[in-house]
Amino acid sequence: MNAETHGAGAGADTFTAYSHPPAVRLKAEQVSYAYSATDRTAPKFTLGPVSLEAHQRELVAILGPNASGKSTLLKLLAGLLKPLSGRIEIDGEDVSAMDLRTRAQRIALVAQESEMLFPLRVWEYVLQGRYPYGRRLRFETAEDCLMAGNALAQVGADALRDRWMDQLSGGEKQRVILARAMAQQPSLLLLDEPTQHLDIGGKVELLRRLRRLADENRYTVIVVTHELNLAAEFSDRIALMHRGKCLSIGSPDEVYQPELLEQVFEAPLEVEMRSTGRPRVLLRGRE
Amino acid sequence: MAVAGCCLLWAAVPVFAFVADAGQQSAASASARATKIFTDDSGVNVAVPVNVQRIVSLAPNLTETVYALGLEDKLVADTSYCDTPPAAKDKPHVGGPGNPSLEAIVGMHPDVVLATAMTTREAVDALRKLGVAVYYTEPHTVRAMLDTTQKIADVAGAQEKGAELVARLQARLDAVHSRLSERPLEHVLFVVWEDPLIVSGQNTFVADALKWAGGESAILASQDWPQISMEEVLRVQPDYIVLTPAHTETNNAKVAEELQARPVWRELRAVKLGRIALVNEEFIRPSPGLVGSIENLARQLHPEVFGAAPAPGSSSAPASTSGALLGATGECAACGR
Amino acid sequence: MRPLTPRRILGVSLALVGVLFIECVISLRLGAYPISITDILKTLYYGVVGHWDNVPDEYRSVIFGIRLPRIALGILVGSSLSTAGAGFQALLRNPLADPYVLGVSSGAALGAIVSLIFAPHVVGAIQIAAFVGAAATVAVVYFLGRRGGQLDTATLLLAGIVAASFLSAAIMFLMTTLSGRDLRGMAFWLMGDLQTPPPIQNVPAWFAFLFTIFLVAAGAIYTTASDLNLILTGEQEARHLGVNVNRVKLVVYVAASILTGLAVSVSGAIGYVGLLVPHAMRFLFGTDYRLLIPTSIVGGAIAIVLADTLARTIAAPTELPVGAMTALAGAPVFIYLMRRRVR
Repeated sequence: MNAETHGAGAGADTFTAYSHPPAVRLKAEQVSYAYSATDRTAPKFTLGPVSLEAHQRELVAILGPNASGKSTLLKLLAGLLKPLSGRIEIDGEDVSAMDLRTRAQRIALVAQESEMLFPLRVWEYVLQGRYPYGRRLRFETAEDCLMAGNALAQVGADALRDRWMDQLSGGEKQRVILARAMAQQPSLLLLDEPTQHLDIGGKVELLRRLRRLADENRYTVIVVTHELNLAAEFSDRIALMHRGKCLSIGSPDEVYQPELLEQVFEAPLEVEMRSTGRPRVLLRGRE
Repeated sequence: MAVAGCCLLWAAVPVFAFVADAGQQSAASASARATKIFTDDSGVNVAVPVNVQRIVSLAPNLTETVYALGLEDKLVADTSYCDTPPAAKDKPHVGGPGNPSLEAIVGMHPDVVLATAMTTREAVDALRKLGVAVYYTEPHTVRAMLDTTQKIADVAGAQEKGAELVARLQARLDAVHSRLSERPLEHVLFVVWEDPLIVSGQNTFVADALKWAGGESAILASQDWPQISMEEVLRVQPDYIVLTPAHTETNNAKVAEELQARPVWRELRAVKLGRIALVNEEFIRPSPGLVGSIENLARQLHPEVFGAAPAPGSSSAPASTSGALLGATGECAACGR
Repeated sequence: MRPLTPRRILGVSLALVGVLFIECVISLRLGAYPISITDILKTLYYGVVGHWDNVPDEYRSVIFGIRLPRIALGILVGSSLSTAGAGFQALLRNPLADPYVLGVSSGAALGAIVSLIFAPHVVGAIQIAAFVGAAATVAVVYFLGRRGGQLDTATLLLAGIVAASFLSAAIMFLMTTLSGRDLRGMAFWLMGDLQTPPPIQNVPAWFAFLFTIFLVAAGAIYTTASDLNLILTGEQEARHLGVNVNRVKLVVYVAASILTGLAVSVSGAIGYVGLLVPHAMRFLFGTDYRLLIPTSIVGGAIAIVLADTLARTIAAPTELPVGAMTALAGAPVFIYLMRRRVR
């Protein structure tokens, strides 16, 4: 959706206006999935069918309560799971048909935490993101170092370059993990509940950074979250999930209908529209 | 790259090995002395020089045999365990019997190396591969021990001395045997180790020596050295308990007293009656000293035949019997220690 | 940012090889039989060019018959064990893993005991049976260690521990049936023994055979070095980066098991080397597996040759078991490394 056609007024500082519609990067058509405890029992959980599109420079939030299928959907989009039906394409290519390395060059799934078994320096860690480029047993080229350096700069972690990974704070570590994902030079950045362990300052900082990456560096970012207000504030589109079904896809103000939200999250919620055109969700207090 | 570098290094290994093999083959053919072939107890044909001057012994019983044959001047080295007779301790050592130093043995320039089951198969094979003549002995009975003594004498080129010694030892054994021929065998618990309780079974060398001393193992087990519980001993109630040098006491009476104070042991009939016999380590060693040890044990198991049983450490035996037992030369290779 | 280059790998490896070479020369000098360095060099030279008449029989026996084969076997065993150790530490995501944790050495020991019971006089039976035992254990643990058709780290570790315990029990039971001589032999074998003569007459063929197996297995592990670096930061993350994690795990498992089986079959279970050498190399040269594997290869060789040289000279002429030396030296080194990491 084009920001200019948005009726509620452009929040000029957070959006870059552009004149032509951006290209479709990710396209998921009627994707469904199911898994069960064993082969013979009935499926414990079914997802879909879901259809979803994401464009260049877009930040899409997949929103929903626990066990709504958000993470499963994300894994399908990342190509980690094969859909039971439907098709997922990135830049026109079928994701499940890609080999591992090509997929890693297009899609980066950002981890939440990273366990270090042996000490590793930040730059070594970020350089590992260049693995998809080149042969299996490879030595990093100057270009690799350049890309890794850029990635670190983009997340503002350049000063951390020579530090040991296990000596970083939570926020610093997350930036470095993000830098590694970016060193992959993907078209698509996928994040699964990245704000879980962060305080409010960290959450805002992360989403601001993601927003900047989408706007300035042309990434397509898809974030799985259950943070209603952050999603509303930073994302272009939201896909609302509930019990394996996608109930609504659209801009934040389109999706945040109070009755719908209450039904999905099973909490007394009300929606307030702000002057920026972005909704804010509040807990309805006692009358 | 690095892989190539490592390849180069490891390529050196087979090159050296190649050279090593060539080296060994030459070494074997270099010695040009006249040799004689003997077949040892493992069935291997060993080529020993006709005139043996340098012997290396890899076991205490072999060392003792060499001394008993009067060949100690030809013994250039033995093991650190060889202490019988005491002079053997002063010979140069090549390590322990189990895993002796191959280099030390080679350095002794031996004409023949004597080995027993105490030495690992690998060590024996390695020595043979180096071109050293290794004569392996493994007697399982007392008679086999006498045969071994003769064989060693033959290998060392001292047949007559061997025949002499064997004849003497055989005579002593026959003497004991004749005195005991009418007597039933005493049921004996032959204790090799007290804790855990390990005893001698039926088919060991010790069992055969026991028979010569007029006893037999009270424990019936399929293993050679079964580890049993005291319950089995109580069930069987042996006539005598024979203890080996693991025990520090040398006085039968004192040992009997000590056992009578021990729980469970004191329930044994043999303990209550003071029927304790002690043998020194000669008894479990297939060497000429074994005969003296057999005589000693026979005296303890059958006191009524031989008169009062002396303590195993004493050299004096009752005069009336000692003459016949000790044979014409009055020589006793092992007792008196 | 100084990424690892092939030049650095080569440089470090060559430096270590230099250390190994010096150590070998010293080791050739030491031993119960006294030979001077000049005589050693002369013997080596004449031996290589083939002028055997210039060399006394005994020098030939001692140098080419006793010391060199022992050093060569030590190099092979040390390299195999430490490479396998590094591989297992990555595969099992556990810094305490050593090559024996998955039961391979117990399987080999069981094979050795069975061959002692049924074919005690057959030359080479022990090595073959030990290798068969090791291979069988690897297969069984592999099938037990799968989950959903793929090797699962935690399940694999459990399967290995269970297998090792079961095999140890079987070994203990069978040991009670061995005769005294075989028991002693078995005890030496279990402690590690570099003196076992080759099972076939053709010594160079034997070493070439061992060397080929080592090269293939170590090479296979080396091709996964980059993958292992990634896997160590998390299996899922490695998958996302395009690593075929299941294939890598299988390759490392099989190759490291082959290396362990090889080492144990020819020399018994020498301990501590597979565990500590990779850690020491990490401490000195970093955790990147592209460098760690070559340094472990040479480092392992250095460690075992050192231990073996000490074992045959410290209490000469008594020969101590190599495994005792590695344990004696290994424990303090381990403690030191542990304390440094805690920092």
